[in-house]
Amino acid sequence: MKIVIAGAGDVGSHLAKLLSNEEQDILVIDNDPAKVDPLDANYNLMTMTGSPTSFRTLRDAGVDKCDLFIAVTPYETDNITACAISKRLGAKRTVGRIDSYDYMNPENKPVVKEMGIDSLIYPEFVAAQEIISALRRSWVRNWFELHNGEIIVVGVKLRANAPLAGMQLKEFASKQHNFHVSAIKRNHEIIIPRGDDRMMVGDILYFTTTHDHVDELIDLCGKTWYRIRRVVIMGGSKIAIRLARMAADEFKIKIIEENVDVCRKLPQMCPGVEIVHGDARDVDLLNEEGIEDTDAFIALTDSSESNVLACLTAKELGVKKTIAEVENIHFISQAEGLNIGTVINKKLLASSSIFQLLLDADSSTPRCLALAEAEVAEIVAREGSKITKAPVKELRLQRDMTIAGLIRNGRGMLVSGDTHIKAGDHVVVFCMAGYLHKVEKLFT
Amino acid sequence: MIRTDRRLINLPMVARVVGWLMMIESIFMCAPLVTCIIYGESDALGFAIAVALTAGLGAAFNFCLHPSRTDMGKREGFLLTALVWVIFSLFGMIPFILSHAHLSVSDAFFEAMSGFTTTGATVMSTIDHFSHGLILWRCLMQWIGGMGIILFTLAVIPMLNHSGGVQMFNSEVTGITHDKIRPRISQTAKSLWLMYIILTVLLAVLLVLGPMDLFEAICHAFGTISTGGFSSQDAGISAWDNSLYIKIVVTVFMFLGGVNFGAMIMAVTRGPRTLARNEAFNTYLEVIGLTFVIFVIAIIAGGHFRTWEDITINPLFMIISTITSTGYAIVDFESWGTFTLVLVFVLMFFGACAGSTSGGAKIDRILFLVKNTRNELDRCVHPNTIMPVTLSGKVMSPETVNKVIAFLCIYMLLILVGGIVLTAFGIPLIDAFFSAFSCVGNTGLGAGVTGYGSNYDVIPNVGKWTLSFLMLVGRLEIYTVLILFTKAFWRR
Repeated sequence: MKIVIAGAGDVGSHLAKLLSNEEQDILVIDNDPAKVDPLDANYNLMTMTGSPTSFRTLRDAGVDKCDLFIAVTPYETDNITACAISKRLGAKRTVGRIDSYDYMNPENKPVVKEMGIDSLIYPEFVAAQEIISALRRSWVRNWFELHNGEIIVVGVKLRANAPLAGMQLKEFASKQHNFHVSAIKRNHEIIIPRGDDRMMVGDILYFTTTHDHVDELIDLCGKTWYRIRRVVIMGGSKIAIRLARMAADEFKIKIIEENVDVCRKLPQMCPGVEIVHGDARDVDLLNEEGIEDTDAFIALTDSSESNVLACLTAKELGVKKTIAEVENIHFISQAEGLNIGTVINKKLLASSSIFQLLLDADSSTPRCLALAEAEVAEIVAREGSKITKAPVKELRLQRDMTIAGLIRNGRGMLVSGDTHIKAGDHVVVFCMAGYLHKVEKLFT
Repeated sequence: MIRTDRRLINLPMVARVVGWLMMIESIFMCAPLVTCIIYGESDALGFAIAVALTAGLGAAFNFCLHPSRTDMGKREGFLLTALVWVIFSLFGMIPFILSHAHLSVSDAFFEAMSGFTTTGATVMSTIDHFSHGLILWRCLMQWIGGMGIILFTLAVIPMLNHSGGVQMFNSEVTGITHDKIRPRISQTAKSLWLMYIILTVLLAVLLVLGPMDLFEAICHAFGTISTGGFSSQDAGISAWDNSLYIKIVVTVFMFLGGVNFGAMIMAVTRGPRTLARNEAFNTYLEVIGLTFVIFVIAIIAGGHFRTWEDITINPLFMIISTITSTGYAIVDFESWGTFTLVLVFVLMFFGACAGSTSGGAKIDRILFLVKNTRNELDRCVHPNTIMPVTLSGKVMSPETVNKVIAFLCIYMLLILVGGIVLTAFGIPLIDAFFSAFSCVGNTGLGAGVTGYGSNYDVIPNVGKWTLSFLMLVGRLEIYTVLILFTKAFWRR
């Protein structure tokens, strides 16, 4: 598939790397040679220096023959222009990143479509959605639903009081058949576990399960479920506003913002939300605003460091759930190692939702979710493919992948060694990043 | 369970890829083996041993090693590229040792390295009585090395189609910047090799239509398009001195060998205008044109004007042969006078376009040097003017300019040091510097040019190893090889 990416910022480069590892033909366009040169020198893709909104550059890039055009420059207007031009020049499908909810409004959809933008990516919106889902399921680190929720993948951190702590995987598997431990994240490293691996305290375990059994995990991992009601948000950023508008009736939100001018504007943009002027890193202020009664603390300022530290402070003051926005990609695994509940990264969220869009579009490639170093894919087994030849345990599969579950005739079920995969099954596979194309070969 | 073992250099993976490459070399070696069998020559045994040894060791590396991680970065790219060229030469020399040529190890290694780097310097005083297989192998080595061993591998092995492959591509392909033609590295490599193969086949067909037989045509096609300069005859291309047709065809294809292959592909796919806009290509034409005029004047003034060929195709052939670092010589051009000889030195230094099969410092870099020098001079008068160095209308960053200037300095230092080392082994001053120059530039004009012996067999063994090293450094454009000798490469 030929993909042109306009804008080599964080989202663009992350996406380019991701797609290049999946053996797609990638061309990255950016105005700034300093941004594209490192990509060109280190990754298996092509780059071009030039304006993404110029006809000449776009023609030279061959957008007329491309299957997908993704505009992720920092400017909304540039993205829209670039998409419009590319669509007219013959790009099969265009995706543009926007900065305002306006374009996503259903009544504006025909106009946007008319302009030549097929799909929209609004990172703040995706981030707000992610935060809401984290608030609703406060005990979970990551939550993915596959195939309309038939299969659910849940990432949970193991507590010391958990019955599972220290248990070997094969022991756990012999007791029940409702959960499949598909991946373990331990010390910044993703492990695709085998039967003799142990689950340790502090690990983030990725369970694959079905809808009926998800709640059993709360006890197994030593967690408790509590309803979140009072939420304090630090920083009146775009995500905060989006979040307030989407969830003001579900949660009781209080936004603490340092800048008076911003504070004055906030009430108009998010009605029904309490606005406090002050620095949320100030413990006195937090106490004054009733931090001990708060269920969740969300730090959404521009500074990743402040967010992380503020969350740690909030945790110490007794807030059960904290969420931090960390925009510096290299900080994420450090931040996850600290005792912060959920880490939000706009760029990663944006790139993985574009990735998802793209995979949805092409039914021959698997649908997948990207964790930091591993990938979860839903692949359809083809007639006569290697995976359908024998029960799973006799297939001698590679060590860097595991089959977690499958959806047969619209019903989700888990996979054990004795399961025999049939043609037409949607199979959920975990594998290390970059191995997906190898895994795919098993299914075709 | 997957554990990542972060060592500085992923040696098992490098060794495994080397194994792959050795198997590829053994497949290439089958060509001379088959030739020997067809002609019923006893050298077939030597080739059979070489094929078995190379393939066997390659397979052993490839199938016995299971690297725990398969990623390759910058360091692996440099190491692998440099290593592969040495290993190819090491195994490529086996046929020379085992055949009737009975070369010593030093001689054979020199010959193989000279082949792969398309230098075309030889230690064999006569090749007439050697087997067809051996002669073909010499030319085939040049052909493989011309476009690049790594590039060929990238085209055929899907395993390297990731970022590690890009590092290898960058460390082998010549030039200041490495333009990719297609998004994926294997596609780029395939396009380049396809272009190369088409040109080779075309040349071979054209040569067969002339006075050459098929075997000679194939050998010369290999030697010409790779701008290597090996021949199937003792006399080299001068054996066809009286055939105007051969001279013209060879001149045209040597010229094409000196053009940036990426630019040629662009010209084919997007129209010839792209080539006209390529500044390096234009300069290449201008340099050839200018030296041609000077040559003609020098020849007429020197009283060597006998036939029309003397002032048309002969000087042109000589100019293109040296600027593209082919090193074919048709006429006794030394008789044209010392001035033309010095001009030839200049051309050897220049080389043709970057991204071509030619050697030398590459005309793109000379352009940089000239433009930068001019800017520096202008700046003495107008100190506040911003004067960037541009190439084909694109502004080059000061870092790039620095890198190019540094390259040219190291290049000249190499020639100097190489020459000094050679004098230590008792080689006369001028010849020492000339052979060092000729080897770094991958030209391979015989040492005979300066009147010292007829070819490189007079150079002592240590000298041959030195020159082999210089050829390698010159072919991989200095940094790839020299970086292996820095502390920074082996330490974190």
